[in-house]
Amino acid sequence: MTDIEQPHSPMATTGSSVAGGTTPGPTDDASRLAAERAAGGSIIEVSFSVNGTHHAHTVEARRTLSDVIRHECGLTGTHIGCEHGVCGACTVLVDGAPSRSCLMFATQATGAEITTSEGLSGPDGTPHPIQQAMMDAHGFQCAFCAPGFLMSTLALLEDDPDPSEEAIREELSGNICRCTGYQSIVEGVQRAVDVRRTPTGASGSSALGTSARTSGSAS
Amino acid sequence: MTTIETNRSGLVGQSVKRVEDVRLLQGAGTYVGDVESVGTVHAAFVRSPLAHATIRSIDVDAARRAPGVVAVITGAEMAELTLPFVPLVTMPKLYTPLFHCLSADKVRHVGDPVAIVIAESRHLAEDAIELVEVDYDELDPIATMGDALRSETAQVWDKADGNVLYDRDWTFGDVDAVFADADRVITERFVSHRQTNQPMETRGIIAGPGDDGRLEVRLATQSPQLARWAIAALASKRQVGASAKDFVTNKERRANFLAAAKQFLADSKEALQAQDSDGMKSQVAKDKAHLRVMAQAGLGLLGAEDFPHVIVDDVGGGFGAKGAFGREELAVAAASIELGRTVKWVEDRVEDLMDGGQAREETLTLSVAVDHDGTFRGLRFHLDLDQGAYPGFPFGGALTAGIMKVMAPGSYRWDAYAMSARCIATNKGKVVPYRGPWANETWARERIVDIVARELGMTPEAVRLKNMIGDDLPADAMVSGPTIDETMSTKGTLRRAIELLDLPTFREEQQRARAAGRYLGVGIASYHEAAPGPPGFIDHVEPGTSALAAELGSAAILPDGSVELYTSQMPHGQSHETTYGQIIADELGVPMSQVRVVYGDTDRSPFSLVGTGGSRGGPIGGGVAKYSSRQLREQVVEHAAKMLEADTADIEIIDGNVHVAGVPSRGITFADVAESVIAERGAVEVKGNDAAFGADQAYAGKGDGGWSVATHACIVDVDLDTGKVSFPRYLVVEDCGPIINPAIVDGQVRGGVAQGIGAVLYEKVAYDEDANLNSATYMDYLIPTSMEIPHIEIHHLETHSPGGENDFRGVGEGGMIGAPAAVTNAIEDALAPFGARITEQHLSPTRILELARII
Repeated sequence: MTDIEQPHSPMATTGSSVAGGTTPGPTDDASRLAAERAAGGSIIEVSFSVNGTHHAHTVEARRTLSDVIRHECGLTGTHIGCEHGVCGACTVLVDGAPSRSCLMFATQATGAEITTSEGLSGPDGTPHPIQQAMMDAHGFQCAFCAPGFLMSTLALLEDDPDPSEEAIREELSGNICRCTGYQSIVEGVQRAVDVRRTPTGASGSSALGTSARTSGSAS
Repeated sequence: MTTIETNRSGLVGQSVKRVEDVRLLQGAGTYVGDVESVGTVHAAFVRSPLAHATIRSIDVDAARRAPGVVAVITGAEMAELTLPFVPLVTMPKLYTPLFHCLSADKVRHVGDPVAIVIAESRHLAEDAIELVEVDYDELDPIATMGDALRSETAQVWDKADGNVLYDRDWTFGDVDAVFADADRVITERFVSHRQTNQPMETRGIIAGPGDDGRLEVRLATQSPQLARWAIAALASKRQVGASAKDFVTNKERRANFLAAAKQFLADSKEALQAQDSDGMKSQVAKDKAHLRVMAQAGLGLLGAEDFPHVIVDDVGGGFGAKGAFGREELAVAAASIELGRTVKWVEDRVEDLMDGGQAREETLTLSVAVDHDGTFRGLRFHLDLDQGAYPGFPFGGALTAGIMKVMAPGSYRWDAYAMSARCIATNKGKVVPYRGPWANETWARERIVDIVARELGMTPEAVRLKNMIGDDLPADAMVSGPTIDETMSTKGTLRRAIELLDLPTFREEQQRARAAGRYLGVGIASYHEAAPGPPGFIDHVEPGTSALAAELGSAAILPDGSVELYTSQMPHGQSHETTYGQIIADELGVPMSQVRVVYGDTDRSPFSLVGTGGSRGGPIGGGVAKYSSRQLREQVVEHAAKMLEADTADIEIIDGNVHVAGVPSRGITFADVAESVIAERGAVEVKGNDAAFGADQAYAGKGDGGWSVATHACIVDVDLDTGKVSFPRYLVVEDCGPIINPAIVDGQVRGGVAQGIGAVLYEKVAYDEDANLNSATYMDYLIPTSMEIPHIEIHHLETHSPGGENDFRGVGEGGMIGAPAAVTNAIEDALAPFGARITEQHLSPTRILELARII
């Protein structure tokens, strides 16, 4: 079962000598994965596309999609709020469908096209019309929940380009914001709808669809 | 006459777009969970499954041998590394127990940490937790204040007298005579349930050796300096002992000692004096170890080679919870020091619901002495506050009780007032300040105002108008002490709300609806809050605590002409970068793009125990921004006048162009002025961070007012099939004086209202009779969504302080203060046909149907 020699912890000897013999050493992916193997865990390859870029990583089988997006792909714009699928902060699009990345194992996304909030802005950093609309509407405060709302909004407007306020509120009810009382976020969505109707928005971009940056790579 | 106004660019007062959004909405924010480096190891905590037990033994051997485990540190081992938390705020008749970051002998709530496991991944750390064997001897759990007061044997804290840790009373005026003289006395007992702050980002910390040899700490906090000082004082036990010899022989360390001592004494002058008071005596009377730990902590601060370097970037909300410095945070810092490695812990949501910070479980008994015509005569107010097991650090329930004592009379006139308060320990999560921590005084008072009105056969609005201080009922001080002026404009907001509600029309509609089996109700609640309150307000809360109120800051103009403000505020959603940018740009006459707001780095941002909290960001932090940039402007103008060979009075600055009034084409830039002043100084080499001009600014508010006020009013529609409450209308009329950024103010108000609605209709921290937590997920602790929170209309009055040029007042807390009272008042009005009297704050659908006598 164990294929590495498990080093004894400096704390392992006696309670009275917790200080002694510390040997700092780097924890890199290799040692972490070796420990995971020693613990009986499987190590797997996962690969998918995120915002049009191909990613392949060797990770613990129990690694969630959100963990891999954040730590292996380095895209920390996706946030973890509750890790039990209620708050919606971790929402990303998996093949266009809004998904709780904290409730998916990374391996379940193998081969998928994933879009995160980093994928919204244009290559030159121009905000996506939804981002711009949220900025214009003062949509968020601490903005920790923002990535989830942005991705839910993107999916909503793909399905229904002109939703009523009621429809917006219902669709966004899968995301929790603790700061704003939601009104400014709903107004942000409404502004995004207006921008789409009159494509002379400040950002000059009229595309609201998921196609913004992910269309480059074929699914 | 003054030249101050000539360069106003008029940004203050506009809904300027948020500077923060460019970063935060494009995935480029840096929250603590985003930070990681090679070599980072991950912490998880072994937590008690029992509410109350002694620890017979703990066996961590198997965990230490588990794959990937770097270290396991038990409570007993941690007690060798850290000092217990020692109260920073002492008060007469308050006992604050000393407690360690990990429990070694006894656990006091479900989730009480008993060991920290550090491993190469969070998964492996959590795996190893399963291997830790703790043998507990169960004690009687104390699940409620009733249990705590009844219990003959069970005691949360051994050195306390029973479970009452604070018992205090105050009297203002001849209360007995007033009560004897009044026509009637109406008494009611109100119960508020336990709630939790629940920022969307949980707590988190990453601590490790920095490049410069200091401990480098990043954490999600409202107060980086508190974290720095707490770690320096409490995580240094071993360091002090081991370094006594070095301390004498090491010259550099001695110099550091003296510098640190000087800083410590200067910064803590008033706090140290307060320690000499009755508060200290009541503390020491209970536990003599207090003095020893204080001395050790002081030595830790003074002897430390250097303090930790705390860096905080973006923080995902706090609502008071992150104003506390947590046990887990100290444990992670201490473990990092011990291991010499970078250790990271990001709290999971279950942990946050368990002990991330809870609040507001209080019973409030109010007696109103009133005459038949509705004139308020006297108020008696008793508070029992369930503070859970471990006191919040640095602010526990006693401070909340103190603020409640000052604020409970509200905006009404009284002949006399008496308050008493107890803080009671139970086996539950820790209580921290939560957005308007004293808010239940408003809830209970505004509730009983409605009850008094009903008893007297008057309308609630008539009773309020009759007794509220205002132009027709002037007063220059609250019965509880603080002075008031026209900024206590609550009556103006009440009148405007009544007008907006169009009550005669509503009452007709209500009658028609009732006839059709629909139950509508209207509720009103008014309050004023100290945001910041008159100078010395905090001394009315507790003499000697005003040291908490002052704020330091500084500002500089750099060689490239850019302006930096160094604030001790720690933004976590309030948009300080935007609002301070507006203030500074206006003061200096520069575009906002030329201004940077520097915060969250203890090397750069000045000391403050509070950081961001207490609705101080606008009035106090804004004052620092205003007056420090005003100092800079004087320096720029003086130097530019020489350069332009003009009189300082003729210098104008518009859009960054410094020129003689009327000749903007011959203007110079801030960079030109900076270059010139640095050249004059004879600097050989100019570095980017060498300030051309600099200004230090301390500020604690000015004027006699500084109140922020509001009236909340809502109309509810109660569905008696389901018990669901909806809001056809919710309006807030608020007065926070001149508004820096209306969109930001509105956002703060709405966010507070949403939390208030959540508190009444959805959110409840639930413990069973054995103090087991029944609300450890978001499936159980219900935070309202966009479906539950209505459109909230906001109306502004802008009353100015007499002569107050820095007149901003805080709005961060008010929404939550007004909402629970307005909502419960409206529901009682809707259910009036059933004779409902609402005395509890949490109204679940089931409870609504019970109140309507349907079930």
